[in-house]
Amino acid sequence: MEKRFGARAALEGADLVVAAGEVHALLGENGAGKTTLVNVLAGLVRPDAGRLEIGGRAVDLRRFGPRAARVAGVGMVHQHSTLVPAFTVEENLAFADPAAGRWFRPRAARARVEALRARYGLDAPLGVRAESLSVGQRQRAEILRALDRGARVLVLDEPTAVLTPGEVRALLPVLRQLAASGCGVVFISHKLDEIRAVADRITVLRRGRGVGTVATAATDARSLGRMMLGRELDALAPRRAAAARGPVLLALRGLCAPGLREGSALRDLELEVRAGEIVGVAGIDGNGQRELEEVLAGVRRPSAGSVEVAGAPVPLGARALRARGVAHLSGDRERAGLVAAMSVAENLLLKATWDDRRFFRRGRFDAEAAARHARACIEAFGIVPPDPERAVGLLSGGNAQKVAVARELAERPRVLVAVNPTRGLDVGSARFVHERLLALRDAGSAIALVSTELDEVLALSDRAVALVRGRLVPLPDGADRDAIGAVLLGEAPGVAAA
Amino acid sequence: MSALRPLAAAAAALVVAAVAIAALGLPAGAALRALAAGSLGGPAAWTATLLKTAPLLLTGLAVALAFRCGVWNIGAEGQLLAGALAATALATRLAPGAPAPLLLPLAALGGAAAGAALAAVAGGLRAARGVSEVISTILLNFVAIQAVAWAVQGPLQEASGAYPQSDALPAAARLPALGRVHAGVLLALLAAPGAAWLLFRTPLGLRLRAVGHSPVAARFAGISPERHGVTALALAGALAGAAGAFEVAGVTGRLYQGLSPGYGYTAIAVALLARLHPLAVVPSALFFGALEAGAAAMQREAGIPSVATEVVQGIVILFSVGFALPRRGA
Repeated sequence: MEKRFGARAALEGADLVVAAGEVHALLGENGAGKTTLVNVLAGLVRPDAGRLEIGGRAVDLRRFGPRAARVAGVGMVHQHSTLVPAFTVEENLAFADPAAGRWFRPRAARARVEALRARYGLDAPLGVRAESLSVGQRQRAEILRALDRGARVLVLDEPTAVLTPGEVRALLPVLRQLAASGCGVVFISHKLDEIRAVADRITVLRRGRGVGTVATAATDARSLGRMMLGRELDALAPRRAAAARGPVLLALRGLCAPGLREGSALRDLELEVRAGEIVGVAGIDGNGQRELEEVLAGVRRPSAGSVEVAGAPVPLGARALRARGVAHLSGDRERAGLVAAMSVAENLLLKATWDDRRFFRRGRFDAEAAARHARACIEAFGIVPPDPERAVGLLSGGNAQKVAVARELAERPRVLVAVNPTRGLDVGSARFVHERLLALRDAGSAIALVSTELDEVLALSDRAVALVRGRLVPLPDGADRDAIGAVLLGEAPGVAAA
Repeated sequence: MSALRPLAAAAAALVVAAVAIAALGLPAGAALRALAAGSLGGPAAWTATLLKTAPLLLTGLAVALAFRCGVWNIGAEGQLLAGALAATALATRLAPGAPAPLLLPLAALGGAAAGAALAAVAGGLRAARGVSEVISTILLNFVAIQAVAWAVQGPLQEASGAYPQSDALPAAARLPALGRVHAGVLLALLAAPGAAWLLFRTPLGLRLRAVGHSPVAARFAGISPERHGVTALALAGALAGAAGAFEVAGVTGRLYQGLSPGYGYTAIAVALLARLHPLAVVPSALFFGALEAGAAAMQREAGIPSVATEVVQGIVILFSVGFALPRRGA
């Protein structure tokens, strides 16, 4: 397959051959072309050149759209839900059901789903609206829908990126079972351990080209990393001797905040982060992670307690925190304050104080100074392409995150709140972010690292706690992963289910 | 390429409009000639076009500015009328005793303030209660329309009481004019680069655009989407209100019902054809101004019934807006 988007080549002769009865993993850095390749398969992207055969039959790519793909037996489970939120699961299946013709038949759909559900052990409540399902349930409903439409090739684009570890453990056997029933399953993931656990074969993409396909049993992490990156893959950035610790710069005192959903309200959090240390907050999404992030970013009002910076309570507000030297870096780039439609230079100014004389004078901003500042950040943080006027949305995930890193870290904040700072990044970009965090700590800043990646927390933190059901609990010794898992899932003593 | 699309759309719209006129059994050739002559053929035609362009330009900017901040201001018509009402009230009732040189600025600023105040009501409801500004600005249009109707039959009615209209504005409150082209046309033309400067060269503009593109990201950057929504609406209302003040002070000389032939609604098409860029609002408003002026001539000169001219305008608006917008997903 070959595909260009404007000047950028997304695919340059990538090959993928998926056999019936196998789980086939697609591995590659961000921007390697994985999503483009599967979007070609799903009829969402028309390639510039290439051949597609499904079930041994050549497909006319000029007439190949999403509907043709579905008819040909390709089922797609996108990263973000494509269910109608206000419909129940069975209504979603009945909606645009090819077998029903012009009629809407949720009851007929229910019978079919029940059968599929029993056959594959896919647990998704049928009578519940899609919007009230958990992410994992929604994903299973999407798989059910694809199977119901007669999918023989099932494509899952980073299905585990949004799942809790428990949900991941539940999903992987389902994929095995789908393969056992004769489907070809294409599985995209960044996580080597998942791929090793579930895939029969692995195809590695690098910069739009297929580097090769290998049997999972015949390979190891190092050689896969070499294929992906074109260089040896190190482990995560090594933990380093902590710099000398200083005074407490960030403290949560009896912090409570209302929750977005059941069990995610923050309850009586006590935490201190000193200068020169990284304190990790491990946990699974939905246990108060988002609420804690919003409080520490100044956009959620605590119901009790306070956030103290350098010993003084901070009034509510993103600007008030910023003014006291608290920066916020999030892996959820849209929320972190990057505006995709605006340029790199403008995004770098977005959190500047409006009386900053470098950029703003007499009610206007100095476009020259902004561009100079952007070029300096581009240089210092290696943002590619080096164009201050380019819209952030046109950058790769890794480079967009570098823009956020540049904005949050360039001023060397006293306190950094980093929340899933490497989510969705490839290995190279993730390591870049980790190096910067460690450098910031060594320079004497206090860092609170809230992450759902346990490995990240363990590798970077000087000490770590867990946020479980809205409470902070101690994290067991790093060596005992089973014990840690039990704590994160709220199964350990000491985490009362209230 | 992208700049040519709106131009091509406008041209294609005129062709289809001609076909529609012919289909109605009317002389299409004569109609188009009258349209062209009445909008661009000679000083009188240009005067008519420019007088229609000024309110379209200001209200078009009002719509574009608010849209840029993610606020759907459908209320430019009401804001224009509020401006006209306030300017008339100031010039004929409250301030005839004011020193003459102050009367005009007072009326113009009062008009802008009234437009801003009306729009800010929608902004405030949106910020405080989450009321959709699409609904509230439309409804406030009716409030403004009725307020004008009441005023010209009540407190602002002319002294003779003959017609439902206000007294003529005193000479000191009239905009200076060259021929019939009043100074408000020039001010409207200057407002476009002013709005562009505000949006692209000031920190306020940066914040407004950030809110428009991504309210969530803006909130995390410490920029309140609610407060900036109010600001954007108030700025928009001020522009539209000034347009209303300029109409009474520069064109009609009085307030009456039907003062605006729907400038504030056409403004939405003006803004969309310009793709919300303040500088592009100038040619866009000029196009719709010419269409407005030419349609009147078409009716007068070629005997095209007013219904048909409205059909033509409708076709042009549909075409120009439909084709000027980027394709979905593109």
